[in-house]
Amino acid sequence: MIEYLLLAFGEAIMVFGALGILRFPDVYTRLHAATKCDTGGAMTILIALALMAHAPTLVRLKFLVLAFLIALINPMVSHAIARGAYKYGIKPKVVVDMYAWDNP
Amino acid sequence: MHFYLKERLEEVRKRVLYEQYAARKIPTWERIILTWMVLLPFWLVVSGNSRPANVAIGAATTLIISSLMRDMLTLDVRSKGNILQKGLYFMLVWAPQLAVIMMFRILESSVRVARNVMFMDINPGIVKIKTDLNSDTGITVLANSITLTPGTLTLDVRRKLGETYLYVHWIDVETLNREKAGEEIKGDIEEWLKKIFW
Repeated sequence: MIEYLLLAFGEAIMVFGALGILRFPDVYTRLHAATKCDTGGAMTILIALALMAHAPTLVRLKFLVLAFLIALINPMVSHAIARGAYKYGIKPKVVVDMYAWDNP
Repeated sequence: MHFYLKERLEEVRKRVLYEQYAARKIPTWERIILTWMVLLPFWLVVSGNSRPANVAIGAATTLIISSLMRDMLTLDVRSKGNILQKGLYFMLVWAPQLAVIMMFRILESSVRVARNVMFMDINPGIVKIKTDLNSDTGITVLANSITLTPGTLTLDVRRKLGETYLYVHWIDVETLNREKAGEEIKGDIEEWLKKIFW
């Protein structure tokens, strides 16, 4: 039962993340939505698959290894994209920018 | 005034001594065994069968790899307590509690961003917070945890005068005070990391 709940939750997060990529104003806020697709959506779907699969325990644990690798890689990639966009010169639409204060 | 200066100097000296003590490297064989304890379960899960021959091959291979790669993972681990105690504490208490905390934070962050998408009540800003961690591995894990927690994204790290600062893109800025913002963003993750990394 709980695996179907997790699957539905992951699908909903995927839909809202895709909607956020369309609706948010600039690169950095869109990155928030895109990374939540990965962590909230893909990881819950993988955990649900690990609970549902008809397989021995060691094979089910491979899904958890995949979820752990996503949790490691996703923040690194989002940090690289955000920092690269800032260094390239894309100005964020923000109320306060303390990074620009220190890098005039 | 004089007494105040003396007290302050004493405090700084004690802190420097403690930092030197905490930054000491752990011995080589402890580093090898800690890396081996991480690599062997990974081999077991990825190879997927648990016959004795397979486990023996995996143990030998991961021991060779961990003796070559001993500095990559465990260079910044605090050097107190003995090895068995540290390993058991790490495997049975520290890692599961951190995993449970991070799992609930990830769920909360997904729900919060879904709410932001629906109502568009965003107020983004880039704030600067200070952290007490000093080692490379500790700062990396802290920055990754900040990116996974609700509504924040790490932009850059800067070291200045022996102190470390993080620039964080916050989707809903609540306060500009550095201490309050740091408490709001880091939460109790930093306390957990300070138990293992210096």
